[in-house]
Amino acid sequence: MNIELSEMSEQLRQRRAAAIDDGREAATKISIEALDFFYGDSKALHTIDMKIPEKRVTAMIGPSGCGKSTLLRVLNRMYDLYPGQKAVGKVLLDGEDILSPDVPAAALRRRVGMVFQKPTPFPMSIRDNIAFGIKLGERVSKSELDDRIEWSLTKAALWNEVKDRLHSSAVGLSGGQQQRLCIARTVAVKPEVVLLDEPTSALDPISTARIEELIDELKSEFTIVIVTHNMQQAARCSDMTGFFLLGKLIEFGQTSDIFTAPKDERTQDYITGRFG
Amino acid sequence: MKMLDRRLLTDRIVRIVASILALLALVLLAWILWTLVWRGATALSLSVFTEPTMPPGRNGGLANAVVGSLIQVAIGLAIATPIGLLAGTWLAEVGRGRFADAVRFVNDVLLSAPSILIGLFVYELLVKPFAGFSAIAGSAALAVLILPVVVRATEDMLRLVPGSLREAAFALGASHHSVVVHVLWRAARAGIVTGILLAVARAAGETAPLLFTSLGNLGWSFDLDKPMASLPVTIYQYAGSPFDEWVALAWAGALVITVGVLALNILSRVVLAPRGKASK
Amino acid sequence: MTVDSSTAPTVSSVAASLTKRGHVDVGDGVFRFALNAAAVAVLVILGAIVVLLFKGGFPALKEFGLGFFLSTDWNPVTEHYGAGVMLYGTLITSLIAMVLAFPASLGIALFLTEVAPERFRRPIGTAIQLLAAIPSIIYGMWGFFVVSPLMASTVQPFLTSIFGPIPLIGMLFSGAPVGTGILTAGLILALMIMPFITAMFVEIFTSVPPVLKEAAYGVGATMNEVFRAVTIPYGRTALVGAVMLGLGRALGETMAVTFVIGNANRIAATLYSPGASIASTIANEFPEAGPGSMKLHALLELGFSLFVISFLVLALARALVRNRMEG
Repeated sequence: MNIELSEMSEQLRQRRAAAIDDGREAATKISIEALDFFYGDSKALHTIDMKIPEKRVTAMIGPSGCGKSTLLRVLNRMYDLYPGQKAVGKVLLDGEDILSPDVPAAALRRRVGMVFQKPTPFPMSIRDNIAFGIKLGERVSKSELDDRIEWSLTKAALWNEVKDRLHSSAVGLSGGQQQRLCIARTVAVKPEVVLLDEPTSALDPISTARIEELIDELKSEFTIVIVTHNMQQAARCSDMTGFFLLGKLIEFGQTSDIFTAPKDERTQDYITGRFG
Repeated sequence: MKMLDRRLLTDRIVRIVASILALLALVLLAWILWTLVWRGATALSLSVFTEPTMPPGRNGGLANAVVGSLIQVAIGLAIATPIGLLAGTWLAEVGRGRFADAVRFVNDVLLSAPSILIGLFVYELLVKPFAGFSAIAGSAALAVLILPVVVRATEDMLRLVPGSLREAAFALGASHHSVVVHVLWRAARAGIVTGILLAVARAAGETAPLLFTSLGNLGWSFDLDKPMASLPVTIYQYAGSPFDEWVALAWAGALVITVGVLALNILSRVVLAPRGKASK
Repeated sequence: MTVDSSTAPTVSSVAASLTKRGHVDVGDGVFRFALNAAAVAVLVILGAIVVLLFKGGFPALKEFGLGFFLSTDWNPVTEHYGAGVMLYGTLITSLIAMVLAFPASLGIALFLTEVAPERFRRPIGTAIQLLAAIPSIIYGMWGFFVVSPLMASTVQPFLTSIFGPIPLIGMLFSGAPVGTGILTAGLILALMIMPFITAMFVEIFTSVPPVLKEAAYGVGATMNEVFRAVTIPYGRTALVGAVMLGLGRALGETMAVTFVIGNANRIAATLYSPGASIASTIANEFPEAGPGSMKLHALLELGFSLFVISFLVLALARALVRNRMEG
């Protein structure tokens, strides 16, 4: 644990140095204001306020049941699928309240994509998996479609592995490949925000490392929000980190600050492994 | 130790009795199949499939009955499958609360309603008020038999599709119908096809619902408004006839229909088998 | 199919909540209309069955009153029809079938779940399931041409020699051993529903949590004792429900019974006697019942009563088997 921690703080030093070099402040992409969330009568999120920066990786950490996944599912209104779940407050995407009845959920989800904990390849070919999402919202020619498929698979670092078998079933890919396919499928739609819900928890360490590299590359084009159980992962790939406990946002700030100099005692306890 | 001996003896007897009963069930299957082969194979020849039914004394076949069965099952399937698929999808995706419970219960009632009542129902619905016995009435009766099986299979199989797959499709901004059509139906396809195959097997062997609907026809007929022969009804008529060659043809038909139905059942298990592993 | 917003269904649903925010996808609207229509179609079909059978049989009910169900007189010449013989035949053959099939299914299910070596369970289970797939007309032919002669020549004389001297019970097994009749029909029905009940029993037995069984084995119980003390009590309600579902099948079975029941409109004390069931009577007499005739009404009333009986049995069975193990 100590070795891991020192390794982590080394990474964090480098990251902070890089952030300072970068020198620019990121604009706010999503602004969450006084958000409450209910599963029926029970309240799962309490007055969350959070500003998620554009083209940065924002990590949400905390013990199981702390509300981090719930918050993620508010950002693309996934909770809409289930009667009895309700969000109250404001979530502004580029200043527009996405919780408003005037915003159709399907349109929102094309701007805010999501990758799930377990790989979710559709029971169709690799190519059709990606074409499915693109064709839902756009009319594209076959050559455009082919270009987009290649582009997204390249983005997801999967192109070289699958370019010769685009027409074979996606279910036949390995777990890590399936997850990268799901990332490709999500970015193929060209969303502005990509939500990752514990994207590596079902994968082996090598596949995990590849996905983490990928996250680092994707942030040049997309705003990324990642929920993770794995603190090293949050430290390795995120710029901002929010720590959640019992449905409350305890602390939110630069990842380097959260991990090296947390202001709240509970954050301190969690990242040093005292609970959770 | 005497008591233990008795307990072990009882256990042994129970095991033996259970084994004998299972063996008897296998003997029963073998006996029925052997009877069919023994009596049916002797009457089976190519002319059974090429010649239509003919009056006793002439070498007729069962070709019109076989074709009639195929036509009626196919039309019944064409009517029942889309309705069943949609109703099953409604139960899995849309229906909630008491109304859904009612639809589910009604479907179970249809599933277990005696098939002869389906025949009576279609007689009252289509035969009596309209042109009389017809192939279309027979097909409608078979459709009512097939429908609840498809509804049940569709609902059960859609419920087995992981929720994450559903959410992933919605997360791409898909509308409800594209999620269902392109993702959920595809994911549940093997199971639904299995259900349909079993429904076809059941419908193909049914006699009672056709007795008062498509009636039977001694010659060729492709007219859907007119009575049409079917294999089970022809078997029923021939088996009870006093003519030896008709009884022999009935056995040949019985062999054909049983082989077909059992083949469909085995096929349906094969269709489902690889899927069952993949879905884990 | 045309859809306008005023006819859009108001059923609470996933899709409804998806679009509750004012935006309705046209494709989704059509799709949801189709789903709702199909669900309603299922209800309408059953409703139509009930209405048409009731309406078709009503003139007979009006003519003969409730006496229709008690009278054993079924006479086309005098145009007097009563359902007594058929009700008796239906119930007694189904009862015989249950008495025979229940213990057999119990034993076979025990064999398939506990006794048989692991690698034989699937193939033997599949073979027994194939029995359930064989069309009923095949059971009828086999019963008529193979089983009935055997009953007449061997089984019935044997049963008479055993049970004949016993008072009361002996009456059931008396009379001329003709083969076709109530007993043979009950036997064939038993064979037909046995694989169906067995499949449900197997499912119930395998749903018993292994820990419960292990706990019993842990105190030194034998397989037989675990079966009686744990498995059967655990699944008791579902087992009764499964038997009821089997009964529902037996009550409405037509072709197999028609071949072997002997088709005679009488009730006799002996089980060797030919008889008639509701379903066999409908199948047999229908061709002679012209449209609009009282006979047709009587047959439809028979059909309606069979529907009511099956419905009640199913409703009871479903209440008992909550997990929908049928099929």
